[in-house]
Formats: sequence, C-alpha cells, structure tokens
Amino acid sequence: MDPSALNSPDLQRFLNQEKEKAMVNEMVAKLTSVCWDKCITSTPGNKFSSSESACLSNCAQRFMDMTMIIMKRVQSMQET
Amino acid sequence: MDSFTTGSSGSGSSQLSTDQFIDQMKAQLAQAYAEEFLEIVREKCFDKCITKPGLSLSGSESSCISRCVDRSSRLPVSLAELF
Repeated sequence: MDPSALNSPDLQRFLNQEKEKAMVNEMVAKLTSVCWDKCITSTPGNKFSSSESACLSNCAQRFMDMTMIIMKRVQSMQET
Repeated sequence: MDSFTTGSSGSGSSQLSTDQFIDQMKAQLAQAYAEEFLEIVREKCFDKCITKPGLSLSGSESSCISRCVDRSSRLPVSLAELF
C-alpha cells in the first residue's frame, strides 16, 4: 500500500467522522446504563412515570456537567 | 510491514524507524490507559456524588466531584508503590 495514501484528506475526513460517531455511540450507551441504574429503582412499568422521566433527563445533563468538571480538573492538575 | 522498517537508506520521510514506531506506540498506549482510567473515575464519581440528579449540580455535588477526582488520581500511584 502506498504510504502517502494514508494522508489523503478524504481518508482523514472519513476517519474523523467515524471517530465522532463512535464517541457519540459510546456516550449514549454509557448514559443509558448509568441513568437507568440511578433512576429506575422499582420494577419498570409500561411507561416512565413523570418523576422517572425528569430523573432521566436530569441525570443525562448532570453527567455531562460532571464530565466538564472532571476534564477541567484533570487539565489543571496536568498544568501544575 | 514495509513502512515500519528502519529508514536508514533515507528513502522518504513516510518511513518510520523502529525506535520512532516504538515511541509512537508507547505514546498511544499511555493515552489509551489515561482515557480508560478517566472513564472509571467518571463512572465511580457519578455513582458516589450524584445520588438524585437535579436540575443543576449543587455545590456539595460539585465539591464531591472535585474531591473524588483528586483522590482517584492518587490511587494508581499508591497501588503502583505496592509492586
């Protein structure tokens, strides 16, 4: 294989898109797992109660908030 | 793989020397380990610090997360000292 083909912009664009898709998939899977455990505490009914829905929505957003805090913290630790 | 053989013949900058390849692999491994560790920290800290997700992060939740991250990052070093 011609090594210069590895530098083609098309390939780079494709790889970046696939990487982003993989990251999104992973985030969705993680949020589903974490928030289900946290919010669905009793036997699941045939639809989410309003408190369960609110909890799930809050959970996903707080998880993202927390991710930001952690990233900033790690960054500042690396700088010291 | 031809592109990873020693490029002492000077036949093009796209060929990596073995040393460069090893360095690159080490860097990528270190990066992968760090990301994996952060994943664990994220999960555990969320577990411990956010018991009932609200409309925003409370002050106590935020400081819990900060403490959790600080403490977690000291753990691998302490564990490594056991070996």
